[in-house]
Amino acid sequence: MHKLIEFIRSIYVFVLFVLLEIVAVSYYANSTHYTQARLIARSNQVVGGLHGLLANMQRYFLLGEENRQLLTQVAELREQLSHYEEAKMVAGFNTTLAQIGGSKLRVLNAAVISNSLTRPENFIVLNRGNGEGVVPDMAVLAADGSMVGYVVDCTERYAVAISILNTSFRASGKLADSDYFGSIYWDGTDPEFVTLDELSKYAEPQAGQEVVSTGFSTYFPAGVRIGTVESAELNETRTAYKVRVRLSASMSRLSNVLLVENLDLYNIRDLMNSEQVQQHSRQKK
Amino acid sequence: MHRFFPYTLLFIVVTLLQTFLFDNLSISVYFNPLIYIVFLLLLPLDTPSIGLLGAGLLLGLTMDYTMGAAGVNIIATLPVAFLRPWIVDLFVNRDEIREGGIPSTSRMGTRKFIEYLIVTTLLHHVIFFSFEALSWNHVSQTVLRIIVSTVVTIGFSWLIARFFTAKLPVRV
Repeated sequence: MHKLIEFIRSIYVFVLFVLLEIVAVSYYANSTHYTQARLIARSNQVVGGLHGLLANMQRYFLLGEENRQLLTQVAELREQLSHYEEAKMVAGFNTTLAQIGGSKLRVLNAAVISNSLTRPENFIVLNRGNGEGVVPDMAVLAADGSMVGYVVDCTERYAVAISILNTSFRASGKLADSDYFGSIYWDGTDPEFVTLDELSKYAEPQAGQEVVSTGFSTYFPAGVRIGTVESAELNETRTAYKVRVRLSASMSRLSNVLLVENLDLYNIRDLMNSEQVQQHSRQKK
Repeated sequence: MHRFFPYTLLFIVVTLLQTFLFDNLSISVYFNPLIYIVFLLLLPLDTPSIGLLGAGLLLGLTMDYTMGAAGVNIIATLPVAFLRPWIVDLFVNRDEIREGGIPSTSRMGTRKFIEYLIVTTLLHHVIFFSFEALSWNHVSQTVLRIIVSTVVTIGFSWLIARFFTAKLPVRV
């Protein structure tokens, strides 16, 4: 008995080490980007204040650039507005409204508190939370409207979004002027490029062509700018293109973003989960 | 528990530096120094194994919490903490270890101290980045990340060690 205690005493550090390591590895192995986003959201309640301060200082130096961007946007919107005003004059206010119908999108703006680029799994922390109407699954767009990510988790005052520069990020994209689509993902190497994979071999992508989102993904509305085609190559089996897409959002200088909620999302999800749809998918199997 | 205060200060400084400076430097995908590990390396030579393990656990937990990483920091710090007595044994003789004091250039000699930094930092970074990548798809990229980040970490560890031992006598 005495010998046993001596033996345990001599190796208890090793045993403890192995136990702790096993716990850590199994926790890590079972984690997804959702758990990571949740962790960031929780720790942000503590370190968020200081992060916010630093982000504010950084934002101050980008104000000039931002002003210019806003002005060009205002100009564009003015121009669009003038079209509507024309239409209003022609057809009358009531009929125009009836045609447009209720909007199915809700838009908020938010400032970026922290944004990583150099890890395989990058996240963006935003300064608005569910207290201000942010909900998970909202699309995150750059100030110029290009794709940046979507919200994964939020607390009262902060939200954490998975960045398009995250190897777990998936969206569907297509060439702007054709209907061929493929899946968008990041390979974890260059923060200026993403990949548009499984694009039909008939699509014939040209360098400089614009890539936008399809309406298939429930996170993003259709037609959101993703980037432009940099280069394309056929895969080994020559059945599909693998396209290198230059991101139009400048991820390294992200400071203000738009949050877009698709109000139909829950409707669509409910429908997909409904009894009838489920029955049909079971029958297929 | 002598020198509790300097080590607490060191812990706070390295975790703050890591969280607010090095985690926010978006210079390149390859540039990811994890300088917080220097805290484990500078613990006294005669720290008992269980103390090292506890320090490694605390450091890993803190960094996981601030980085929002689900355990990958603990996975990397624990082996460094556990293996440190053997690594120190390679560079310092038994009598000196029993004497205690801070691992430093004046204690170990410049060359041995740098070798000690290289071995421990490399161990930590190899484990960290392999677990972070968790795939063989970008092995060359992961290796490059390990090399670049290790070199940068060693550089900053050297500086931090110099600052830390500037005022404190390295022998007890």
